[in-house]
Amino acid sequence: MLCSAHCFTIFTQRVYLRRQTGKIYCMNNYLNQLQKTYQNDDDFTTRQVDCGMPLTLCFLDSMCSDIKISNYVVEPLTYGEKATDFECIKKRLTTGAIVKEPANFFDVLDVMSNGYTVIMDEQNCIAVDTRTTLARAIIEPPTSMVMRGPREGFIEDAKTNLTLIRKRLKTADLKVTTLNVGKYTNTTVFVCYLSSIAEKKVVDEVVQQVQKINIDGVLDASYLSRYIDKNKTALFRRVGMTEKPDVAVGKMLEGRVALIVDGSPMVLTVPYLYVEDLQSPGDYYEDNTMTSLNRILRFISVLASVLLPSLYVCLKMYNYQIIPLKFLITVLNSTQAIPFSPLAEMILIIVIFDILREANLRMPSAVGISLSLVGAIVLGDAAVKAGLIGAPAVMIGALSGIGLFTMPDNTLILSLLRLVITYIAGVMGILGVILSMMVILFYLCSMQEYHTPFLAPFTPTMDNDKQDAVLNKPLVSWKKRPKSIPNKNTTRRGQ
Amino acid sequence: MNRDKVTVGQFSLLTLLVISGSKFLSLPSKLAETVGHDGWLVLVVAFLWDFVCLAFLAWAIKLNQQHHLPLDKILRTTLSPIVEKAVHVVFFVMFVCRSVVLLNSCYRMFAVTFDVSTNWVMFVLPIVAVAFFAIARGFNSIARMGQLMCAVIVLCIVALLSFTIRQTDFGGIFPIAEAGVSNIIKATFEHSYWFSDYVFVYYIFEHIQVKKRVFTPIFTSFAVGVVLTVAMNVIFVALFGSIAPEIKLAMSKISVFSVAEITNGRWDWLTLSVWIMSVLVKIVIFIYCAYKCGEKLFGLHFSKPNVWMILAIALLLMLPLFVPAENIAQDFMDKLLVPFALVQYLLPISLPLLMTLANKKLNTGVQK
Repeated sequence: MLCSAHCFTIFTQRVYLRRQTGKIYCMNNYLNQLQKTYQNDDDFTTRQVDCGMPLTLCFLDSMCSDIKISNYVVEPLTYGEKATDFECIKKRLTTGAIVKEPANFFDVLDVMSNGYTVIMDEQNCIAVDTRTTLARAIIEPPTSMVMRGPREGFIEDAKTNLTLIRKRLKTADLKVTTLNVGKYTNTTVFVCYLSSIAEKKVVDEVVQQVQKINIDGVLDASYLSRYIDKNKTALFRRVGMTEKPDVAVGKMLEGRVALIVDGSPMVLTVPYLYVEDLQSPGDYYEDNTMTSLNRILRFISVLASVLLPSLYVCLKMYNYQIIPLKFLITVLNSTQAIPFSPLAEMILIIVIFDILREANLRMPSAVGISLSLVGAIVLGDAAVKAGLIGAPAVMIGALSGIGLFTMPDNTLILSLLRLVITYIAGVMGILGVILSMMVILFYLCSMQEYHTPFLAPFTPTMDNDKQDAVLNKPLVSWKKRPKSIPNKNTTRRGQ
Repeated sequence: MNRDKVTVGQFSLLTLLVISGSKFLSLPSKLAETVGHDGWLVLVVAFLWDFVCLAFLAWAIKLNQQHHLPLDKILRTTLSPIVEKAVHVVFFVMFVCRSVVLLNSCYRMFAVTFDVSTNWVMFVLPIVAVAFFAIARGFNSIARMGQLMCAVIVLCIVALLSFTIRQTDFGGIFPIAEAGVSNIIKATFEHSYWFSDYVFVYYIFEHIQVKKRVFTPIFTSFAVGVVLTVAMNVIFVALFGSIAPEIKLAMSKISVFSVAEITNGRWDWLTLSVWIMSVLVKIVIFIYCAYKCGEKLFGLHFSKPNVWMILAIALLLMLPLFVPAENIAQDFMDKLLVPFALVQYLLPISLPLLMTLANKKLNTGVQK
């Protein structure tokens, strides 16, 4: 609450100051202005220091490290030689690594809210980096665990995340553009790319898109992802999200742009391809044959998850001739006493499964396991035994539900799609399923952002890019960078 | 981004899809009715003629890479605005009629094979809605979708044919050309309405982009389409012999032969369901073209798809509620066959010449 009140004060002060067009603030006004701005804010601290000339130190206590203020600012100023002028203070009497010179009052507010200590006399002003570090340890991200490969994950501190990337890209080609987004949060966003690989027009478009954002606050990278998606796509994710530095670097090496958002452990990557949903971080550290098999499995399971319930409804309601006779008899025997129609039965199961999944997510892990067991055994088994739903439908529903988790980032949207397609299948039969698939395909095929078709490399076909699509060719045979991602340097290795 | 942009490769695959998308339904029985077991020869002759026209079209596509002129502009500049409108009228009628015939075949296919009994309105409206969605997303989405599904659809056709071929006695197609060469050629002309599936190219002409080669992908796809269609027809007449004219939906009956025992279930229906997508894609393309025809006829250009235009097309597609779909096709063949044949065969052959003239005229205009 204190933080938001503080931000609001800064904002109103800025608005007030901006209205005073043409008014020039001299340095001795800064202190007065700061005191006015931070009126009733106990976090705002000032201290008078004499180092041969009177100086005022201003900082926000909660944002600064006491030790850093003491070591980099107070100690050199009080124990060091006497200063003759402000230039001497800047060059010799501040030992902080980063020293900024705010150009105006807004800059002073910006640096202070970022943890800098402002040193000012009547005419001059500098800011020394005394930011406090409040970050959790770097651990393996829970959403992208791997059997083999690096286990480091991004954390909520943007600077640490940038370090994690730079640690892997020790090249001067790695460029970082810093932007601030959010009227109140003033969140730092680092736009990172490899200047020798990433296409400039894509980088410029991403930067422009971020600059255009007009929002109160950015609390997580997902806020930003909705603004970066230029077409405001309703279905399907159009921006890549990763918690692993190795994945982010891998994507940057293909020409993508990474966006680090302060306060979020997720790093965004654009452009994004649909095929990236099939890929897992561990794929690149496994044998390529196994990777290919895994990806085929993921593809089939997702396709089956979306289509199985609708096909079951279709077959049972209209086209039971497709099912072999013996199998049909078994199915009919187990479902003849069910009071619901196949459509109602299947929709009921899908909805129950989705409720269980949602409840499971919200529960603490220990309770979550019990809930899964209750859901799976008690609800499912009891419902079948009570004759409310048939065993084949439960099996299809469960299989479809589990299959969705092979593409964990898209579980919700795929679940919604299967529900809709199942309903259409119940109403229109196989024609409905075919038409639904066509609509989805038209939709996917038409999507293109940052000069990248969403379904590349399958359509439009890009043979070179298929080396890492569903089938994964050995790493040693990758010679060219993907054509689907605009890039300046097409060669991965060699000259 | 140009939402109607199509590459030559995508156009080639769409050609393959539309060739195999409709000729496996009611055409084989109609040909069998006219020329008996020589129906496949009619296909061969018609496809030969189509090949010549396609070659000229491919040439025109290549020539058009400099200025990317649309068909209406070419016709307006070289002939006259009246000819341009007349061509659009013929094409509009043709696209609507062919959509009706295709929809009718599909309707019967779903009613007979898939046991989905519905009325015509409830059958047509969802398909028109899908077409409307495709128009909104641009022709590029149709082309990409064709590219994505082409291999799967062709595989399904090959699977259906390869299972059936083992049970086929090819003795039924002999003696070859029993109907007589003149009858075969006459039947080709009478059924020309069923061919020239590539006519949709006229409405995406300016959007086709050539990267490397033009002729190779177009001719390869066309050849694959021709081989599949002729093979299917040969198998059809060989399997059903004298009762072939009575088999109104060829594909649904041929696929029965790919099932060893009926007690094993009709798994062929799954492949059939995939194949039927090509028919639906063809209908969507024709509705798209009819929409574009309407735009050009009235000199309109909508930045967003126009609902009224689509509704008008949907109303026209409801004609089978009042007139049997077969009659619509018959009337078209009787009354518009000559103008259509002119547009169908004369236009592609003269298109390279018209394009050169149009380019010259436009260049002269620019210089002046």
